[in-house]
Amino acid sequence: MSVTATAVIKRFGGFTALDGISLAAREGEFLALLGPSGSGKTTLLRILAGLEFPDAGSISIGGIDMSDRPARDRQVGFVFQQYALFRHMTVADNIGFGLTVRPRATRPARAEIDRRVAELLELVQLPALGGRYPAQLSGGQRQRVALARALAVEPRLLLLDEPFGALDAKVRKDLRRWLRAVHDRTGLTSVFVTHDQEEALDLADRVVVMDHGRIEQIDTPEQVWERPATAFVCDFLGGANRVAAQAVGGQIDITGVRLSNRAPAMPDGPAKAFIRPHEFMLAAPGAAGIAVVLRRILRTGAQAALETEAGDGSVIEVSIAAPPDGLAPGAALVLVPQTVRAYPA
Amino acid sequence: MSMVPARPTGEPRWLRWLLITLALLFLGLNLALPLAAVFVEGLRKGVAAYAAAITAPDALSALKLTLTVAAIAVPLNIVIGLAASWAIAKFDFRFKSVLVTLIDLPFSVSPVVSGLIYVLLFGLQGCFGAALREHDIQVIFAVPGLVLATIFITFPFVARELIPLMEEQGREEEEAALSLGASGLSTFWHVTLPNVRWGLLYGVLLCNARAMGEFGAVSVVSGHIRGRTNTLPLHIEILYNEYNFAAAFAVASLLAGLALVTLVLKSLLEWRFAGQLAGRGH
Repeated sequence: MSVTATAVIKRFGGFTALDGISLAAREGEFLALLGPSGSGKTTLLRILAGLEFPDAGSISIGGIDMSDRPARDRQVGFVFQQYALFRHMTVADNIGFGLTVRPRATRPARAEIDRRVAELLELVQLPALGGRYPAQLSGGQRQRVALARALAVEPRLLLLDEPFGALDAKVRKDLRRWLRAVHDRTGLTSVFVTHDQEEALDLADRVVVMDHGRIEQIDTPEQVWERPATAFVCDFLGGANRVAAQAVGGQIDITGVRLSNRAPAMPDGPAKAFIRPHEFMLAAPGAAGIAVVLRRILRTGAQAALETEAGDGSVIEVSIAAPPDGLAPGAALVLVPQTVRAYPA
Repeated sequence: MSMVPARPTGEPRWLRWLLITLALLFLGLNLALPLAAVFVEGLRKGVAAYAAAITAPDALSALKLTLTVAAIAVPLNIVIGLAASWAIAKFDFRFKSVLVTLIDLPFSVSPVVSGLIYVLLFGLQGCFGAALREHDIQVIFAVPGLVLATIFITFPFVARELIPLMEEQGREEEEAALSLGASGLSTFWHVTLPNVRWGLLYGVLLCNARAMGEFGAVSVVSGHIRGRTNTLPLHIEILYNEYNFAAAFAVASLLAGLALVTLVLKSLLEWRFAGQLAGRGH
């Protein structure tokens, strides 16, 4: 089911958590809310769930205004970062909870609940663990139980708050592929919160980048990566080196190297330019480009990372396939940027 | 005797034995010995005298009154304590810290003063004294006064036990239950209450022990009418002041027995539900 937030504002005391947020998730879409901590992404998710209420603006689910409805009436599945499993109930009782607490008139028979629980245990690949308590499971298993519990009530919308935040790297990666597969199978509209850009770009149909309670960009992962709308997005996506530059006649001048701007057009004047580590070529001293001194060489798998220092003391990271022979720390180099994304300074 | 600890975090063996011995010695001198003394002194004049002391009509009526007061005060404090800690731990509202301070009040006020408050409120010369007399309701020097004073004194036990526990458990499980469609009441019944049941049990036991053993506040509002408004602790004091030591200790052993029964009950429950405690993980 589609979900829409319109001009949502939320304040906690003097702090503005959400400053006029509007967004829409289409039916069956997988949307990621990406941003640093304090950007308001979790608050927005909780407002969608009915666990918080906006000070202004409205929320509608499936085209029906839900702004004043409490969580229990929204039929929304919510998965918490810390799982929030009922610690005194077995895994099976956790998953069946949403069905068990229904009013008598709409409550399925015990046998039907058991059947549904078994089916969900199968879906989350934990068929033998129904009798365990949450404390006896690993983090990854707990999160899968939490997902099964949310799916049991056949929600119209699935909301996940940093679902992999408390897991280690290997489990994270496995679980996120698996979550995407579950999403594709159930066709459920899903919104998940993350501060990990790799996770957001890997998993989502569209990414909502947030900062200070505002939306910086809503786009497909490709667009967000290739054409970051603002300096914040470009910076937050990580890894990019920031260098001073000038916009001249629609082009960006970086110490004599002129390139066309990959970011939205900007007026002439001083610019904040971002260059990713793999977007440099190395040249000998004397060439046009950024003069640097090599500080360290780090081999990171197939690539080599060069840590260099520019004349103003700023550190620039360069990633190349293989360092030239004889390159050693202390060597003077010139970095020639190949592409650039620049924003008004 | 090795000077090297068995584990990096362990102490040398001699130090461990020394500390354990000191602790046992202290417990023995301060807890076990007095408790034993109560029973020994009670039985000093023989079993017959002991039986006579605890079956005397005044003693039996004091026992009955003590149990009655506890039976009213403890359930009421369970309900009020649960409600207060639920509100404080799971909701945000103005003047929450005022409420928390009020809950601690009975602990910081001397029991005698607590008793006096009720005399000043409900006594003949008190605020409501005239109105109560008009309707022929007696609070002070009667059972209602004893119950009120006991509720006041024992109020913090349940709430104090539950507030930190509920705060530590957070609100996420409740939020999960709400998002799964549970009502507020069924969330409380199926999620909040089971999560704190052991803390609640402990609070109830403490509350009950204090309700049966309270002396100061009860002493002020009771009026010491033998056979009518004397609880066990007050009855023991009267016997003691009359130099009837054997009887005083015999009745004291009855009160100590009640406390021991509570302790055994708690251990039994813990043993019976050991599996669930283990399943909970901590």
